[in-house]
Amino acid sequence: MVKGTRKPLEEIKDYLSKYNKILILGCGGCASVCLAGGQKEVNILKVELELALKKNDARKKIDGFTIERQCNVQFFEELENMVPDYDCILSMACGAGVQLVAEQFRTKPVFPALNTVSIGIDREIGMYEEKCRACGECVLAYTGGICPVTRCAKGLFNGPCGGTNNGKCEISDDISCAWNDIFNILKEQNRLEDILKIREPMQWKNQIQRTTIQKPYMDRYLGK
Amino acid sequence: MTANNTGTVDIKKIKQMLDKHKVKMKLSLKVCAHCTLCAESCLMYTSHGKEPEYMPSHKFINSIGKLYKKRGVVDIKTLEEIKETVWEKCVLCMRCYCPLGIDIPEMIILARSICRSQNIFPTYDK
Repeated sequence: MVKGTRKPLEEIKDYLSKYNKILILGCGGCASVCLAGGQKEVNILKVELELALKKNDARKKIDGFTIERQCNVQFFEELENMVPDYDCILSMACGAGVQLVAEQFRTKPVFPALNTVSIGIDREIGMYEEKCRACGECVLAYTGGICPVTRCAKGLFNGPCGGTNNGKCEISDDISCAWNDIFNILKEQNRLEDILKIREPMQWKNQIQRTTIQKPYMDRYLGK
Repeated sequence: MTANNTGTVDIKKIKQMLDKHKVKMKLSLKVCAHCTLCAESCLMYTSHGKEPEYMPSHKFINSIGKLYKKRGVVDIKTLEEIKETVWEKCVLCMRCYCPLGIDIPEMIILARSICRSQNIFPTYDK
């Protein structure tokens, strides 16, 4: 799932200082699961902002509301009547959610309350580990389920490089060499031939916005 | 998932929310023929041994149907039960299909929203 962290209060205050009626909009999806932007975090931020902004200006009105997801307009119904009452929206969703809210409510300034960090897994409560950079060219089949794009500091498709040192990466002794780990797991699984195959360099596609259409829907959206 | 609200229920607020969606809610509950055709489109139903409580129709009848039948006069315990139904048994993937045109996800969203209005929602840190 998408993982994020809340921005510092000072930064959020900076966005909001000139607005009087502020709607803090929580997301019940990934942002909620990673403890960054769900209803509980909306309630906490509301109190913090009231303390920070209202003491200097009693006209400030800060409300919190959480919808199930901000990445799908089907969940926006309740917002339609609510949003006109506010000067701006502070979204606690990931970057995708913030952008959809901004697209949907074009007349209202929409600000992010989170930094979207990664696609990751839940290691412990409140501790998440990045696992995927959504490169669009998944090579996990050949790398023993370890992503070199995410784990290798150089994002190498053919490794390890000369900087590997006793299983550690040259950039830090605290960082395990991804390609060393890939080698070990492939060896354990008796399929070292996979590491010997030369992979072509990635055709990086994420410099432009990507749209995903599943095959059965090609006809519907592209007429193909 | 644990309780956030250990206090009281704002019945007036729930009634307001129900009234706002009364026509669609009433029609949806009336139209449901209990045909169970929605079940096959539910990934939770198919991946949980086809237990009836995972059927989309069961979930919407036991959440919004319950709230409607009780006209919003519910206690925390009932809302906690509804929370269990609409969050634990539904991931809101929006895939459920009703041959009679009932918008089941919309009903589940409404039930979740009513729970949220009473500070009842899932938490992921306990």
